[in-house]
Amino acid sequence: MTISGRVWAFGDNVSADNGIIQYSQVPDLGSFDIPALKAMLFVLLDPDFPQKVGEGDIVVAGRNFGHHSHPHACVAMRESGIRACVVESTDSAFIRKGLNNGLPIVPCPGIMQIAGTGDRLEVDLVSGVARNSKTGEERRFRPYAESMLQVWRLGGLAPALKERVSAAGL
Amino acid sequence: MRRMGQSVVQKIIARAAGRETVEPGEYVTVTPDYTCCQDISWPARKRIMEQAGVTRLAHPEKLVLVVDHTTAAGMGSPYHRNHGEMRDFAEKHGANYFGPGSGLRHQVLVEQGFARPGTLVFSDEPNIASIGVVGALNIAISTEVVVTSVLNENWMVVPRPIRFTLTGRLAEGVHIRDLAQAIIRDYAETDLLSQGCIEYDGEGVAGLSLDERQTLLACTYHAGPDTALMPVDEAALAYTRSRADGRPFEVFEADADAEYAYEASFDLGALEPLVTVPPELHTVSPVGEVAGLRIDQAAIGTCANGRMDDLRAAASILRGRRIARHVTFYVTPGSREIYAQAGREGLLSILAEAGATILAPGCTTCWGYEGVLNDGEVSISTHQMNYHGRNGSRLARAYLASPITVAASALAGAIVDPRGDPALRRDAA
Repeated sequence: MTISGRVWAFGDNVSADNGIIQYSQVPDLGSFDIPALKAMLFVLLDPDFPQKVGEGDIVVAGRNFGHHSHPHACVAMRESGIRACVVESTDSAFIRKGLNNGLPIVPCPGIMQIAGTGDRLEVDLVSGVARNSKTGEERRFRPYAESMLQVWRLGGLAPALKERVSAAGL
Repeated sequence: MRRMGQSVVQKIIARAAGRETVEPGEYVTVTPDYTCCQDISWPARKRIMEQAGVTRLAHPEKLVLVVDHTTAAGMGSPYHRNHGEMRDFAEKHGANYFGPGSGLRHQVLVEQGFARPGTLVFSDEPNIASIGVVGALNIAISTEVVVTSVLNENWMVVPRPIRFTLTGRLAEGVHIRDLAQAIIRDYAETDLLSQGCIEYDGEGVAGLSLDERQTLLACTYHAGPDTALMPVDEAALAYTRSRADGRPFEVFEADADAEYAYEASFDLGALEPLVTVPPELHTVSPVGEVAGLRIDQAAIGTCANGRMDDLRAAASILRGRRIARHVTFYVTPGSREIYAQAGREGLLSILAEAGATILAPGCTTCWGYEGVLNDGEVSISTHQMNYHGRNGSRLARAYLASPITVAASALAGAIVDPRGDPALRRDAA
């Protein structure tokens, strides 16, 4: 199953809490205020981003993407229509927070060399390939394990747990 | 095929995965020894389990529930309900429960002997890497604590092994916390440590107490890695034996041909007192550059600096002296055991007589649950975070430093360089 979409590219060191969103400006940390989160998505880097982003888009970014994260950044991206993040590097906690919210985030060294804003990218989590639809250039990444793919296919942690609990008879 | 040399983190994960070896970057399924959760996010975790139709846990004895974020659930606070819900859940399922005042998860895990050499702990916080002091591996998985609680397994990424070698000894007035802040300054804005596990070693480690090692481990995540470990030496082993209560453990050492993705060396003797300037963690200044800034609040505690050595350091500065009149000073022992020991050593009375407010063991001021800051107020503390709004008002400013610098600043009423304080010389003599 391939994710295909329009690319928005960002640079290095985009922090989750002070870059993807502004955690200190989230009105209520105890719940996800979706309109507020969507309105602050990437505005520190691109003030019009919330108006431009759309369903099925893909974020491409440089090194150290999403460090110091709370899950709010992932919820903001998913609710704004973003379906994958393909980045030079990120931390494991952010991969988890993304996947748990149904948003795959993959470290893929070299991605910035083959994809920029406006390109179309195809991302195959099973085979571990990101491909620029126009130029055909590819970069490989470590494919998600089957248990991770299951979480992604079912849309996040909660539905995936329900499925597994039912299968395990717990 | 040549067997690749394995570092300590790889060996711990290989054991938990039932494998001979694992490769850095690999996604593997592992069975943890324990899963540890806190109170503030418990209702959300419980809701996910209920929605999934969970009726029993695969291994309830592996679940450790600790009330540490909302110890003082007073009138008007919604948190007393969490305490009750956690306690009832633990009772119903046979899980481990440590109620308000027991201490931070970081501390409960080592004191109660859950964290032992070679154990893998899935927790809801990366700073619990402090359990690496006894060679236990913390992997922070946030909401997925429900997965491991229920199913007794989960996926993880094998971290890239990183080696940090410590040499030398800390100078007077300098604390291991200063090294933690220097590492964050140098690495947080890079990806050199990303998806890594720092394995500390070197003669510098041998000169550090177990408390000091936990300070460094608890802060390391903010520099970028997933987790961190210390070598299990005689001191760590003796502590483990006193806590394990017969439960098994296995000490792993890195193979001589283990490969590290990145290596660096740090001379403890070359460090100076540092202050992290808000609102970022990587903006760190020598204390001299911010000295003289008037403070309203000082706080010592947290998973970084709530241990005996931290309280002793603060008391040695404050013995027989009185903090500045305009300063509110909170001290939070990291656990009930530390609280009691600090009492036996006379530290609590020294701190109280100096003007400190001693809080019940827990996270307290670190996330603004207690000691809330007003607009324009300035604090200096051993907290872990400093972003705007962390401790109350978004217009307050939160500076971070070692317990020595914090205690000296509380005394002066302004940020000061603790070196040269007569109390330090008195102690040295």
